[in-house]
Amino acid sequence: MNLIGRRKLWYAVSLLIIIPGTISLVMFGLRLGIEFKGGQNLEVKGQISQSDIQDKIGSLGLKDVSIVSSGANSVVRYRDEAQPKVQQSNHQALTKDLAAKGHPEVSFETVGPSVSRDITRNALLSVALASVAIVLYIAFAFRNIPPPMTSWQFGLVAIVAMLHDALLLIGLFSILGVMAGIEIDSLFITAVLTVIGFSVHDTIVVFDRIRENLRRERGSFEEIVNTSILETLARSLNTSLTVLLALLALYLVGGESIKLFVLALIVGIASGTYSSILTASPLLVTWHNWQQKRALPSKLTKNQNLKSEPS
Amino acid sequence: MMSLRVKFWLILLLAVVTAVLAYPKEGQLLQKIGLKNTNLSVKQGLDLQGGAELVFQAKDGELKKLTKTERETAMTSLIDVIQKRANPSGTAEVTVQRQGSDRVIVDLPGVADVNEAINQIGRTANLMFLELAPGSNQPVQTNVTGKDVSRADPDFDPQTGRPIVSLKMKGGQSTTKFGQLTTRINQQNGQLVTLLDDQIVFGPATVSQAITDGNAQLSGNFKDIEAARSIAQQINAGALPIPIDLVQQRSVGPSLGKESVAKSLLAGVIGLIVVAIFMVAYYRTAGFLAVLALIIYTLITLTVYKLTALTPYAIVLTLAGTAGFILSIGMAVDANILIFERMKEELRSGKSFVAATEAGFDRAWTSIRDSNAATLITCVILYLFGATIIKGFAVTLGIGVLISLFTSVVISRTFLRLFIRTSLGRRPSAYGLKSSEVAA
Repeated sequence: MNLIGRRKLWYAVSLLIIIPGTISLVMFGLRLGIEFKGGQNLEVKGQISQSDIQDKIGSLGLKDVSIVSSGANSVVRYRDEAQPKVQQSNHQALTKDLAAKGHPEVSFETVGPSVSRDITRNALLSVALASVAIVLYIAFAFRNIPPPMTSWQFGLVAIVAMLHDALLLIGLFSILGVMAGIEIDSLFITAVLTVIGFSVHDTIVVFDRIRENLRRERGSFEEIVNTSILETLARSLNTSLTVLLALLALYLVGGESIKLFVLALIVGIASGTYSSILTASPLLVTWHNWQQKRALPSKLTKNQNLKSEPS
Repeated sequence: MMSLRVKFWLILLLAVVTAVLAYPKEGQLLQKIGLKNTNLSVKQGLDLQGGAELVFQAKDGELKKLTKTERETAMTSLIDVIQKRANPSGTAEVTVQRQGSDRVIVDLPGVADVNEAINQIGRTANLMFLELAPGSNQPVQTNVTGKDVSRADPDFDPQTGRPIVSLKMKGGQSTTKFGQLTTRINQQNGQLVTLLDDQIVFGPATVSQAITDGNAQLSGNFKDIEAARSIAQQINAGALPIPIDLVQQRSVGPSLGKESVAKSLLAGVIGLIVVAIFMVAYYRTAGFLAVLALIIYTLITLTVYKLTALTPYAIVLTLAGTAGFILSIGMAVDANILIFERMKEELRSGKSFVAATEAGFDRAWTSIRDSNAATLITCVILYLFGATIIKGFAVTLGIGVLISLFTSVVISRTFLRLFIRTSLGRRPSAYGLKSSEVAA
């Protein structure tokens, strides 16, 4: 089976699944949850509608109110800009009113602007740090890679595969934000980081085999990469399958509050498997061939120069 | 090197011990075999057991007025006061921690009325002067309160050299009232008790002479001058050592938490069963050995969770944490899959069962090590920069990865080495291979 030979097809599939989300991301961005922009989330039992809280919204002066259903419960999202003490009594008034209508409080969350600024900063910082740490680790782990490629090239390609998965996931949640009002929270950042970790985990296994096969030196670089992918194919698919099966169980019967988190992990891990087999390793070949092509003409011109020199 | 047989028995012992400890009612089980009933339990996060997490922040303007050392003392005594107010009886499982330079996180597991708790923490401190008539043990509240105090300072008693808090009463009415009170106690030979937030900071003690100049001393058996400073700060602020705002709150009802535990548990069990079926279907007897290793992995992990709950560094299981645990099961299986696939390849290339097993482990090891290292790096960063929810996830995934390294390298390896000594272990079908694939 020649997987590398069809690499243009794999690149096309990658672009096809990434582009819609990226467009949505550029146009609409992400719908931020209260952890990143501050605000209140009140979860109550049962399904409620706007009319249930209409009078309270007005009398308490709540802003940006929206209601989303979460399984058997409903979540009222709002923003209360009153003093902290007043916010507390507003929350009590709203909870009391809804409880009287048969919708007791299940959970409540409020995040102030100073906290949300810190959470956002830490989230961005952790994604950036994780990416840098992983490139450094791969560069170190693959430091004695045999020619023609260098460990930095392996590291960068692993990062491209990682960005592939992160972009797909972030894009998907941008679309979900537009279509279903789904907000991103700390758990989403966790999912992105886990997927990054898993994606690299998967890519490293294939790269490890490429390194081993390069040492044995048989065939062209392209052939060696293809063989390496095929040799690790069963492992890659089986591992992903077991992880996905476990996550699927969690998605189907696990708690409502982590459903989206688990969905993000499922999509990310499926993408991670695809990218480590069909994006990362073929990219190594593309890069290698490009290097060769660039090296070849310059060698030729050098030789010609030598010839044309007067003896 | 330990012999295989010894290793096998040690693994079996480990499995039995962890099985007993991981068992939900391990206390009763331990009692049956004549040990003390020790109740171990996995420490559950607020989202699982219900409760509230509150984050308070010191008012920025107030904090800026203080010097750096004053700020540190103010924060330390703030935590101290919040601790007392959130947990007056000292029996509840309340944790109060500092976060960053100006925030305090309060965890109130299983709290019934969050708003009541918030009000308690944020209320104004109450300094009371009580009079104890001679022969009576029932102190009576007087008309002197914290409102009459203009300033409190930490000081040393000039005679004994012990730390005290000196009080300066407000002039006029307040000094007069305090003068009358001390005169009366002095004449009637009664005693004076001073309470701050229902905690005694002075007395009960006799008053040797009436205090009419408005200068009083509280000698409350303070541990050191810092303790005296903390009390002085509380009195000065009229409330907390520094005014605070509630900047974040997350409360979860107990029913939601219980539901989450039940659901996560079910998901974990189903996940394990599905993975087990897959492994046995694909890798046959070898897959069964992997499942055994996986079960021991689960038992060790649960035991670690339970045992850390006895230490100050308890692993707190949160809803996101259960996802981390289930994900780590996947990672644990991955190590086995890597080894089996490698073994199968070596068998196909004509190696003997013994040689293939060793080569399988050696060659798979670099992949296992490098890929898990990448996951561990992510976990460490998540732990360092993540919010509370994320920390729970990072810890369970990280610990899972570490334990899975142990189970794959030690337990799976020992099982396989023993297995290839049996006649069943020398059949290609035991690894999901066809006999035609293996060179005889």
